[in-house]
Amino acid sequence: MLEGLLIGLGTALSLHNMMFLLVGCFAGTVIGMLPGLGPMSAIALMIPIASTLDPAAGLIMMAAVYYGAIFGGSTSSILINAPGVASTVATSFDGYPMARQGKAGKALAIAAGASFAGGIIAALLLVLAAPALATVSLSFQSTDYFALMVLGLASVAAFAGSGGILKALLMTTVGLMLATVGSDQTQGIPRFTLGMIDLVDGISFLLLVMATFALSEALMAIVKPDRETGLAQERKASQNLGSMSVTRDELADIAPAVGRASILGFLVGLLPGAGATIASFLAYGSEQRIARPDQRRRFGHGSVRGLAAPEAANNAAATGSFVPLLTLGIPGSGTTAIMLGALIAYGIQPGPMLYINEPGVFWSVIVSMWIGNAVLLMLNLPLIPYVARVLTIPSQILLPLILLFSLTGVYLVTFNTFDIQMMVIFAAAAVIFRLLEFPLAPMILGFILGGMIEENLRRALLIYDNSWSFLWERPLTLGILCITIFVLIAPLLRAIRTR
Amino acid sequence: MKPTASKLGPLTSKDRLGALLLLAFCSAYGLLSQDIVLLPGNQNTAFHARTMPTFLTALGITLSLLLLLFPTTHAAHGLRGINWLKLVLFMLLMSLFGLAIRPLGFILATTAFLLISFALLAERSYLRLLVIPLAVAVGFWAIMELLLGVYLHPLPAFMSGIN
Repeated sequence: MLEGLLIGLGTALSLHNMMFLLVGCFAGTVIGMLPGLGPMSAIALMIPIASTLDPAAGLIMMAAVYYGAIFGGSTSSILINAPGVASTVATSFDGYPMARQGKAGKALAIAAGASFAGGIIAALLLVLAAPALATVSLSFQSTDYFALMVLGLASVAAFAGSGGILKALLMTTVGLMLATVGSDQTQGIPRFTLGMIDLVDGISFLLLVMATFALSEALMAIVKPDRETGLAQERKASQNLGSMSVTRDELADIAPAVGRASILGFLVGLLPGAGATIASFLAYGSEQRIARPDQRRRFGHGSVRGLAAPEAANNAAATGSFVPLLTLGIPGSGTTAIMLGALIAYGIQPGPMLYINEPGVFWSVIVSMWIGNAVLLMLNLPLIPYVARVLTIPSQILLPLILLFSLTGVYLVTFNTFDIQMMVIFAAAAVIFRLLEFPLAPMILGFILGGMIEENLRRALLIYDNSWSFLWERPLTLGILCITIFVLIAPLLRAIRTR
Repeated sequence: MKPTASKLGPLTSKDRLGALLLLAFCSAYGLLSQDIVLLPGNQNTAFHARTMPTFLTALGITLSLLLLLFPTTHAAHGLRGINWLKLVLFMLLMSLFGLAIRPLGFILATTAFLLISFALLAERSYLRLLVIPLAVAVGFWAIMELLLGVYLHPLPAFMSGIN
């Protein structure tokens, strides 16, 4: 492990990779700060640049964009009560009241510090957990991978929120359907190409991600202008941040909460589908429950613990979600699904063999998390008052620029104008489903895992001589499928019991 | 009296409208899946090119019908306060950008795209309308061409001397 860490340090600390880490942190923070644009949009926007880099540099940059965007999202939560992403909603519960009390600077400093601590603690746990899990997963067969992927999809749907499971499952199915467009993987039979040669290679993952997140988000702001009111508010708030210093008493109050929230966040992040949102709410709820009555009353009115706990938890969960991605090749969230797509584009198949075949990539991503979190703290905190000024760009200028960068980002990868037309169609559909409040992340996860699920199922059937008996004969597969059924049934039972 | 969302009937709820759209999509997907040509002998195997699409069609239609019958919310869809004209115009503009990027060249197509977008979003400063699109287009092209070595036709073919 020490050898691996040294390899990672050597790779991550090279001047070339450090530069992309800085760029990633900075770009992620700026993009994540814009209301509505979360880590998924941020990573999607950076993929065209990352695709021109070597795998280690590209992944380091995308990981940096990821936690940079989470930090940036916290900023809009604190300053204007407009969380860019669901995982920073809990941050706004106490962060925004602090900002209204003239303590925006302090709230931002606490958020940055807690994120840093959460990220560092989780990265430490990742170092311990990832190699162990990678070793265990070497014994996995196609049947187990098939079951694990089904569990991953089911978990994302199950954690979609109250009443959203059916919609999330439906969108996952749509993603799986889109993944079948193009030539069949083994026999090369064209499917759903409508006679168009441009569809023979299937739908590009970058195209779909850009259209459903970056492009549709900008279009939503254009067609529903009330979403932009946040920008105007943020402009005012960003001009008066107040002091950033944190007292010793406040530090003593925060430290244990951050420790607990980081561990909780990491463990939640390990679960496929749970992710940063659940982690931040769980951390906030548990801190509120164990707080002394006088402290509990301050929750929701500017409690420093109430701010620090979800911040530490969401960053720790973001780090934890890399464990299933790096060791099993199964993304636990929409964001890590995009990262998986990028890895595959590099010709790297994540999974236990990544740890063995590409130790440089594996360990440099882990080490970059430590360095990236330190960079976020040292670079971004002093720069926040200046970075926040990006929001002073008028929306009539900013939104067309986002549209342009999304379109050209995809065009520059393939130089195929057909892709731009496809993006327009997918973006229109995404806008409609956003307006109808259907979740889009499960669709992306379904799309990414679709090909792999089909391939593993085909292999499993080949191994078991065209018999479906592997579903109940192999204990590990059966166990995972039982968990999947439980994950799907539990929310339904809860809903019935509530009624 | 103005009709409320609930008086328009349950089919106009967010969930049901979405379920109907996806039901149509899944049905079309199912119909198209029947066009997948199988290799000789494939029909008798447990898994072939049509297996996954057939399963997904059944799953998609089942889930759509379940959502149609048991919507999680009866809230009216929020499609009314939307500026549909702007959405259509931007769709057209993006599509035209795609069609124009080769014949017009990157700089002209990008400048035109940004200029029209700014104008559609009510930017009225002539300085911004003209300077920013041109600066962004030239700057972006220069970064691609000079820094990253990605070649983009900057101008129309007849102006670049390309036939």
